[in-house]
Amino acid sequence: MEKYFDVSYIVESVPMLIPFLKVTLMVAGLSVLFGTILGFILAAMKIGNSKIAKKIAYGYTTILRCTPSIVLLFLTYYGIPAIADNFGVNLNDIDKAVFVVITFSLQFAAVMSEVIRTSYESIDRGQFEAAVCVGLSNTQAYWRIILPQAFVVALPNFGNSLLELMKEGALAYTIGLIDIMGKAELIIAGNYNTHALEIYLALAVIYWILSIAIEQLFLKLEKVFSKGKQVITTT
Amino acid sequence: MMLEITNIHKSFGENEILKGVDLKIEKGDVVVILGPSGSGKTTLLRCINFLEKADQGHAIFGDIDVNLKTASKKAIHGIRQKIAFVFQNYNLFNNKTALENVTEGLVIGRKIAKAEANEIGKKALDKVGLSEKYNAYPIELSGGQQQRVGIARAVALNPDIILFDEPTSALDPELVGEVLTVMKQIAKEGTTMLVVTHEMSFAKDVANRVIFMDAGVVVEEGSPKDIFVKPKEERTRKFLKRVLPEDYIFYI
Repeated sequence: MEKYFDVSYIVESVPMLIPFLKVTLMVAGLSVLFGTILGFILAAMKIGNSKIAKKIAYGYTTILRCTPSIVLLFLTYYGIPAIADNFGVNLNDIDKAVFVVITFSLQFAAVMSEVIRTSYESIDRGQFEAAVCVGLSNTQAYWRIILPQAFVVALPNFGNSLLELMKEGALAYTIGLIDIMGKAELIIAGNYNTHALEIYLALAVIYWILSIAIEQLFLKLEKVFSKGKQVITTT
Repeated sequence: MMLEITNIHKSFGENEILKGVDLKIEKGDVVVILGPSGSGKTTLLRCINFLEKADQGHAIFGDIDVNLKTASKKAIHGIRQKIAFVFQNYNLFNNKTALENVTEGLVIGRKIAKAEANEIGKKALDKVGLSEKYNAYPIELSGGQQQRVGIARAVALNPDIILFDEPTSALDPELVGEVLTVMKQIAKEGTTMLVVTHEMSFAKDVANRVIFMDAGVVVEEGSPKDIFVKPKEERTRKFLKRVLPEDYIFYI
């Protein structure tokens, strides 16, 4: 009789899952890219002087942060084609990955706008004043003095948000995207819904390795960029 | 006349901080501004350098003649090239070493070649007694050392005037001396200085002119002797009595 738990399923499913890692990474990567760009714009709106821009940016952040990822995913997946349809554009054949990227870009932007705003505000304004006093332009003062320091402050939170995004990304299988999560579901279905535990374990192992790699990368980055932040022992 | 400011006004909301201050500074002057907290000393300094925008006022600075309220970006940049500023909280660039702090303004602000800027920067740090600390980051320095880097950063720019905004107020008492010593030294070298401070000894020993401000106006000004020994105004007398020991007159 077949065992209920069979390790060989884990070993066999890993190589089947790995090729779909690139879908997971691509979706996450694009979401981080677009989300960070939009996050910068939102943070600038929050920091700037325009009251309307501030309201819009904060309102956006609140709404997006209060919407569960899976709800937002369905809203974009069904909502965008519905709106497009009103204008006579047919989006039914568009790749599902596009909706996933849109969803997580919107969500990541809300998170990043707060990460960027708080790290910017953590740098004492006095350094900006000192910079313009020694003859730097406003732009030079931002790029050479404020942003490099804000970047170091933002790094751990950025890494954290990125990990979060990658894991949330697993929800994309619900609209039928075949990333590693989607592939795992397919493998289980192919086994007539048996040995699901082994497949999910294989999936978890892949996520763990990926997460640890990202975590380590950010720790390294933080070390490299934090000159002047920690006391450096001099001989 | 090197710097002449007339009728400068500045309010923050309802609160009028400067109510029409005039100021004249000659080359080589060491002018100390005294006054109680909230009298507008710091705001005056910040308005001269456009860190705050005055509501009204006029400045003649060498060949530049500007309205302090409507000054163009170019005029502001031009004036800032002539002025250096030393901050109460040092405001060093935390991501840069002591030497980089000094050379940043030379290389980026003044477009001086890096090698030459390094030479100037090292000389400035030597002058303030930090020859050992070229490559130290601000966090590795004591408050007194940080403020000396701040002064080196100002001196290296070779400005027409250095503004000091309470340069020793944030320091531990035992570190005040080293900063004052450096300030005295650069004053002796003929640097034009405008200093807001609560250090009466510095005002007495180094200044050639003392201005007493209160409630947004200049109450009186004169030589240190005039102000400390025979102040004309009641407000000045009261202030000095508060900040100096009873027998202050014997210190002069």
